[in-house]
Amino acid sequence: MATKRTIDVALSTTGLDREGRPQRVPLVADGSGQVTAMAAPPSLEPELEGEHMLINLGPQHPATHGVLRLVLELDGETVVRCIPHVGYLHCGFEKIGEYRQYNQIIPWTDREDYLNSPGNNIAFALGAERLFGVEITERCTVLRVIALELSRIISHLVWVGTTCIDIGAFTPFLWAFQERENIYNLLEGWVGARLTTSISRVGGMAADIPDGWLDGLRGFLKTFPKTLVEVDKMITRNGIWVGRTIGLGIMTPQDAINYGLSGAMARASGVAWDMRKDFPYLDYETYDFDVPIGVNGDVYDRFLVRMEELRQSVRILEQAVERLPDGPVNVNDPRLILPPKSKATSEMESMIHHFKLVMEGPRPPVGEVYVPVESPKGEKGYYFVSDGTAKPVRWRIRPPSFVNLSAIPKMVEGHLLSDVIAINASIDIVMGEIDR
Amino acid sequence: MAINVKVVDRPIDETSYVRATLKGLGNTFKHMIDPHKVTTQYPEQRESISPRWRGTHRMLTTEDGKAKCVACGLCPTVCPANCIKLVPGEDEEGNRYPLVFEIDEFRCIFCGYCQEVCPEEAIHLGRHYENSEYSREGFVYDLERLMAQTHPVCEMWDPADPKGE
Ligand code: SF4
Ligand code: SF4
Repeated sequence: MATKRTIDVALSTTGLDREGRPQRVPLVADGSGQVTAMAAPPSLEPELEGEHMLINLGPQHPATHGVLRLVLELDGETVVRCIPHVGYLHCGFEKIGEYRQYNQIIPWTDREDYLNSPGNNIAFALGAERLFGVEITERCTVLRVIALELSRIISHLVWVGTTCIDIGAFTPFLWAFQERENIYNLLEGWVGARLTTSISRVGGMAADIPDGWLDGLRGFLKTFPKTLVEVDKMITRNGIWVGRTIGLGIMTPQDAINYGLSGAMARASGVAWDMRKDFPYLDYETYDFDVPIGVNGDVYDRFLVRMEELRQSVRILEQAVERLPDGPVNVNDPRLILPPKSKATSEMESMIHHFKLVMEGPRPPVGEVYVPVESPKGEKGYYFVSDGTAKPVRWRIRPPSFVNLSAIPKMVEGHLLSDVIAINASIDIVMGEIDR
Repeated sequence: MAINVKVVDRPIDETSYVRATLKGLGNTFKHMIDPHKVTTQYPEQRESISPRWRGTHRMLTTEDGKAKCVACGLCPTVCPANCIKLVPGEDEEGNRYPLVFEIDEFRCIFCGYCQEVCPEEAIHLGRHYENSEYSREGFVYDLERLMAQTHPVCEMWDPADPKGE
């Protein structure tokens, strides 16, 4: 039914004639198999009355990866306009953080981009450490690289799996989740939790890896590339997959930069922008790896880039396992780190120190910092403003999914409704991070 | 520099329908006859969980059956979810003990901070994950319930696991 609003929206849209009727663009195939638009033939029949339709995709749609609501204006089955609505999952993390000590915020960062919890924890800790002005130990640096790359693998595996389901392939999803399960088993052995790890602390890690953990990781690094090859065999050259992904949602490098895209989205468009390369942290510049970039910036390129990143993560992990040094994990800074449990329960001084640290919390100097890291979704940054008390005055997340999602109206324009699913999947959004 | 930029190649020319389908089917059959089974037949089979598992809480007791907790108030302070309720009391000899100690397992996020800060090694997270109750109230564990738990406890932040801080 044409409400006034519908007509208003329709009139303001390209692709319509003066009366608000869709312009017809007949498609013909010439000899080369290329489909081109040609001038409209003189119509023999009077044109049928038509109007655009607004539909809601989401917020309870399985293919919108959470509670994203896309209002789509359709002309037949072609998308004329798309308006994303976000905010259904808003939890107020940033406000809550203003009432928590720095270490107490770490469990909240688990829950924003929940496919990448170790990555968030570590990104948060890196930001807070810059604020406190501490240097972490060598062992901690390598352990963090291991955790970061493991969480990148988790996130990309979930992406490959769920995108396969969205597009119609079920089997690679199961293989991807099987490997993800192995990583979760490793994380469980390290910190005792699978999804919400809280793996880092300001100035160190929650715990050192247990004995024999590295052997488990080495085993994983042996079997995982095999699965990757299988997934690759299954879909990369599959005509159905290629047909459903190629030429969709193209972003040129200029567009990618103008929209502020980051991560695999920007790299698929050919922008070699990777925080690990451009703003190295955790000694990433000393590792050997490639930053993959795409050519066309379509969904297929984003898939290829993410698959390549999985292989590169394995390379980084192999080097990190080799170079893991012995030594302490936490910095030797009594302002930040609790004394060991055995001391805190036996020595009076340590006990007093323990109480003071827990009750008052570590206090950073006055200042503000922004530290970006390369999360699986793109540039993720934490911004802190401190007034010298134990709690941040303001704490802000730069969520890569949110910025990448802002390009969806441009990407889906002119594509079919079923392609919206593939394009939306290719952004790799996590609503927990977008709405925070 | 050791970080290189690599342009991914697009194997579009090698795209096929029949060959890819057959390959996929072959892969699926290979997995079907693979003796390595990945599915756990829960609840008949159970995966073993790590000694650092962070699950349902448990309050440890002294030899004479009293709770080890001295009502110091560190765990309610540090809990990010504000789910520990503690009312301290004092006996005739001046020893502090918890009059009320409740953990709302529904609000708890199992971060383990309470165990990390407890100076008496009293409150522990447990290696246990199967919780079910008929009412929401049932998830507010009081001191008695916490002391009556028997599952093994998480070893992280414990002298039993020196690597875990
Ligand atoms: S595990 Fe964390 S959330 Fe749960 S009671 Fe302890 S401190 Fe609070
Ligand atoms: S930290 Fe330990 S001793 Fe202190 S109140 Fe909590 S359980 Fe009791």
